Amino acid sequence: MKEKLEASDPTPESKTEATVTDSGVDVSRRAVLKSAAALAGVAGTQAITGFPLIWAQDIKNIELRHVGVSYSVVKAIGDQASKDLGFKVTMQNLDTSAAINRFVTQPNTVDIADVEGWQAKLATKRGVLQGIEVKKIKEFENILPIFTKGEFSGKVVSRQGISPYEAMYISKPDATELHEGVTPWATFLPQVYNADSMGYRPDLIKKEITEWKELINPAYKGKAAILDVPAIGIMDAALCFESAGEIKYANKGNMTKSEIDFTINRLIELKKQGQFRATWTTFDQSVQLMAAGEVIIQSMWSPAVAAVRVKGMPCIYAPVNIKNGKEGYRGWCNGMALMKHLSGKKLDAAYEYLNWYLSGWQGGFVARYGYYSPVPSTAKKFLTANEWDYWYEGKPATAEILDPYGVPMEKPGAKRDGGSFIERVTNISCWNTLMDEAQYMNKRWNDFKAA
Amino acid sequence: MSATSPATIPAAKRVRRRVADGAESKRPWTFWVLATLFAGYVLALYGPMLCIYVLSFQDIRGGLVFPMKGLSVHWFIDLFTQVRTGDVKGGFERSIVLALIVTILTVVGSFMAGLAFRQRFKGDGIVFYLMIGSLVAPGLVLGIGIGLLFQYFGLEASWFTSALGAHLSWTLPFGVLVMFAVMSRFDRAWEEAARDLGATRWQIIWMVVVPILAPGLLAVALFGFTLSYDEFSRTLQTSGPLNTLPLEIWAMTLNVTSPSLYALGTVTTLASFLIIGICLGGIVWIQKRRATRISVH
Amino acid sequence: MTTGITDTISTGASSEGVPVETAFAKKGASSSAGRSGGMAWLYVSPLVLILIPFFIAPIFVVVVASFLENDGFGGMLPHFTLANYASVFSAELTLRLYASTVKFAVLTWAGTLIIGFWIAYFLVFHVRNQLLAIGLFLLCTVPFWTSNIIRMISWIPLLGKNGLVNSILISAGIIHQPLEFLLFSDFAVVVAYVHQLTIFMIVPIFNAMSRIDKRTVEAALDAGASRFEIMRYIIVPLSKNGIALGSIFVLSIVMGDFFVVKVMSGGGSASIVSALFEDIAVLQYPPAAASAVVLLIVVVTMIALILRTVDVRKEIAR
Repeated sequence: MKEKLEASDPTPESKTEATVTDSGVDVSRRAVLKSAAALAGVAGTQAITGFPLIWAQDIKNIELRHVGVSYSVVKAIGDQASKDLGFKVTMQNLDTSAAINRFVTQPNTVDIADVEGWQAKLATKRGVLQGIEVKKIKEFENILPIFTKGEFSGKVVSRQGISPYEAMYISKPDATELHEGVTPWATFLPQVYNADSMGYRPDLIKKEITEWKELINPAYKGKAAILDVPAIGIMDAALCFESAGEIKYANKGNMTKSEIDFTINRLIELKKQGQFRATWTTFDQSVQLMAAGEVIIQSMWSPAVAAVRVKGMPCIYAPVNIKNGKEGYRGWCNGMALMKHLSGKKLDAAYEYLNWYLSGWQGGFVARYGYYSPVPSTAKKFLTANEWDYWYEGKPATAEILDPYGVPMEKPGAKRDGGSFIERVTNISCWNTLMDEAQYMNKRWNDFKAA
Repeated sequence: MSATSPATIPAAKRVRRRVADGAESKRPWTFWVLATLFAGYVLALYGPMLCIYVLSFQDIRGGLVFPMKGLSVHWFIDLFTQVRTGDVKGGFERSIVLALIVTILTVVGSFMAGLAFRQRFKGDGIVFYLMIGSLVAPGLVLGIGIGLLFQYFGLEASWFTSALGAHLSWTLPFGVLVMFAVMSRFDRAWEEAARDLGATRWQIIWMVVVPILAPGLLAVALFGFTLSYDEFSRTLQTSGPLNTLPLEIWAMTLNVTSPSLYALGTVTTLASFLIIGICLGGIVWIQKRRATRISVH
Repeated sequence: MTTGITDTISTGASSEGVPVETAFAKKGASSSAGRSGGMAWLYVSPLVLILIPFFIAPIFVVVVASFLENDGFGGMLPHFTLANYASVFSAELTLRLYASTVKFAVLTWAGTLIIGFWIAYFLVFHVRNQLLAIGLFLLCTVPFWTSNIIRMISWIPLLGKNGLVNSILISAGIIHQPLEFLLFSDFAVVVAYVHQLTIFMIVPIFNAMSRIDKRTVEAALDAGASRFEIMRYIIVPLSKNGIALGSIFVLSIVMGDFFVVKVMSGGGSASIVSALFEDIAVLQYPPAAASAVVLLIVVVTMIALILRTVDVRKEIAR
């Protein structure tokens, strides 16, 4: 399975292949080293990756361990990085909670940590990360200002929840408190993000859904679902109740005890009325529930919607743009953080890796999942014009759209839900979060589960 | 044991029925009832497995539910080339090797502990209840504790060190308890006889105790393997930088809805049937050979 | 000497505190006087060597953590506090979680016991060819070589609204609407548990039953006992060991499980450990630690109670 590249491939070794065997990596590493030695600064590989390989001999034996969730830390990306960079990058997948626990209790076993914004805050407080020197990151200025400056085209990005901007800066590399405002040291580099809303079956729900309150509409009793992660589920619920006009939250991402009580009590009420068919735990559960028709509307993730469509069932990702001060997407952002113990050559290798990550190949890859790259300008280089229009601009496809592994998933003429990525991202109402009242919120969420 | 002596049973009830006498007698009605129950149980056991087998033969459009889409071996190929499904192959290898090591160590450790508990020794109650505690401790929390300790002592947590220990802390109590049950029927007289005939302590253990207890040891081995192969909560934080199979699959469920998991199920079932078939076939063959040898004498 | 040997030949039916045992016990004690506790400690050393670093030490860490103050962000302040335990004991949630988990445990125990007992009985007493018995037994174990998680996922195509069971029932005309309670309900949780854990009941009971001397049963038959009486006075008492063991296994697994409940109940129910899991997910260690310690104590007590009715240890240590 070969990825389509926009740029030309001067050397055969640099042709990207998704299938990599151990010997394959060795061969291309050797090829990369050869070309680096022979064509210092001008080789074809460098035209694409642009990484100085003068110390290639030293870094052969380095292995970077990138640990995180499977939709962000993808094996194919690690394999490609190993190929392009000359040292080994191994990816290990864990679920979100296991990952953050690993970072905090066994920091020496991880090199690059995949953290969500709120996890970056936690990890920083626990002192297991080291600050990323912003000026060493080539593409930092090209990262969307949503993340680096907390604003876009003059509009301030929502600060409900823990926005990536809030979680990003620290005053010095070993600080344990976040700093409000731009500094030369970052806690993490955004890597993959999206704006979540609801998915629904347009063939079973005959109207267009644009408001969160439809999730708790009694007309869909027994056919709705939300997800079983306390911090996220409660915000989806909050969006529903706010949309229905039942309550106005000061900060959906950091609720007071009374707001939590209201939300959970309403949820328990709805549960007892039989509104929810299930609360889903795993990704494929959400896909199956929708594809099998067990639910017709539920909180979903973007690739889940795509997966349902691959199965031949129509599914739309509801565009819930902010209106009347209500609605809006729930945003999240995963990024890479450097563990504190990295130093010397390994630290240099880590910076190479971070730079490679933002240089576009990864952006093109995850775009086909429906995830956005924080540096769209580099991702654009690895997408066809058709793909760019479809995934980023929200325009109808002019040719078949393929998924990251080459499987056709959309026919020409299909349009991505929710419009362009700018439209979606600027309509984020709240970000994934860790609340101050997290312990209380967990307890009350368990009340909801046990009800 | 409650003593209902035969004399108290009224004469009217004395009916001659024989069960399990090996002769060509008709099967009692209870046999058919129980056989049906057994068949029902096996059917229920394999119910989810049937779905797995059938759905693993879908083509590339396939999902994890019915209706089935297409017919192909695509997912089996995908499983072995592990392109999009994480490192299932690596996780599988690690899980199998780990389970085998755990099985061997569990059998040896449980057997020895069983021998130890045959007599009262100082602190045996404490050891026993510590073992029970190890059995019931919530794996999630224990795993974090082990991970923390490894980090503190600067040890490298990995699937063959910390995860191995965590698995053993889970399987050994199972094994020892099974050993208790098995050894309670063990007849010391055989040991006495062997000692009288001049056997050393190790000869007694190896040539008398182990063969008699063999079925029990097999049960311990079975438990050890199954428990370790499926172990999830204790392994979550102790596996180190490489995932075992349950961890890998669990991580995949976050973004994958791929029937290659089902392909894995089908492959392991086929492999297990093959292994069982070979073992049983081997036993039958050995028995036949022994029979012919005896008859030749 | 000889008394001991002839006595023990009939041991199969009489290992429950009868003159035979005390005679044997005296004999056993005198002959093992030479084998001091030292030998026993040598034998038990692998067990202890594993328990120390992989149970005792981590649990000690957990216990310490449960008495520390939570800083809300994954840290623990070095102040001794009982606040964590207070919140565990004062919350109504705790009671409901325990009630829910114990309910599952009891239902699972009943299901696995009934099914497991009869399966074991069938395999031991009705299957004549020993090889066949082993083969059938192994047949029951094959599904467990497929990872637990894959089997969990596969319940949906079996029990779902469009699943196999519903499709069969509908096409047979027995029902007209798919049955919703089959999946994402308490029923589904218990079914999944029983499916997973019956084998843990079958194995010990099988072991115990296969040691029942068939001649005892024959003797009882000859004396005119009915099936029910044989069951009541011979089979069940002699399988008590196996039943107790199986119960211990089933109980401890269900009480400590979070995964099956989470997936099969569709979030409809919670268990103690699944609540723990949520706390750990946001690094709230002290409350999670307190909850874990309480769970540990509760379940060990439950098992101690089981052992009171059938003292497994006494059986082998004379």
